[in-house]
Amino acid sequence: MNVWLIGATVLMGGFLPCLLVAARATALDALVALQLAGSTATLVLLLLSEGFHRPSYFAAPLVLSVLSFVGTLVIARFLARSSR
Amino acid sequence: MRSLALDVLVALGVAGELLCCLGLVVFRNVFDRLHYAMAATTLPPIFVAAAVVVAEGRSSSSANAIAAAAFLFLLNPVAAIAVARAARAAE
Repeated sequence: MNVWLIGATVLMGGFLPCLLVAARATALDALVALQLAGSTATLVLLLLSEGFHRPSYFAAPLVLSVLSFVGTLVIARFLARSSR
Repeated sequence: MRSLALDVLVALGVAGELLCCLGLVVFRNVFDRLHYAMAATTLPPIFVAAAVVVAEGRSSSSANAIAAAAFLFLLNPVAAIAVARAARAAE
């Protein structure tokens, strides 16, 4: 166990508030929670990659940081169009 | 000294991100929540990337960590604007 794995484990606790908001609030609030969960997951993967000392694992947070943005953008456009 | 710097940087990154997650629950309005979702993509990723750079020095791991933090920092405001416009249209 090192500081990276401890940090990743503690940071996973941040998914609970995001899950709470995503489950109980409106669709747009849930989208904001999803966006925050995406950036939190990127940091968790960064910490885990360094904690396991595997340079090849760093591709996962890199890809997630871009794809979470794309997903949020697509859903936001969909919600904007469906609310008109 | 170096391990102390690592511990401090990782702790700051994790604490900052958790603080933003709590802010998501505390506030009720979608626009207020957006502030916290965006704050989570500014300093915390920079602290975690800095910790990786301190640990790995000049390496592919450092480059990947810096790139991931940069993507979070640069792309998420665009997504936030799209969400805010959708929220505005829904009002």
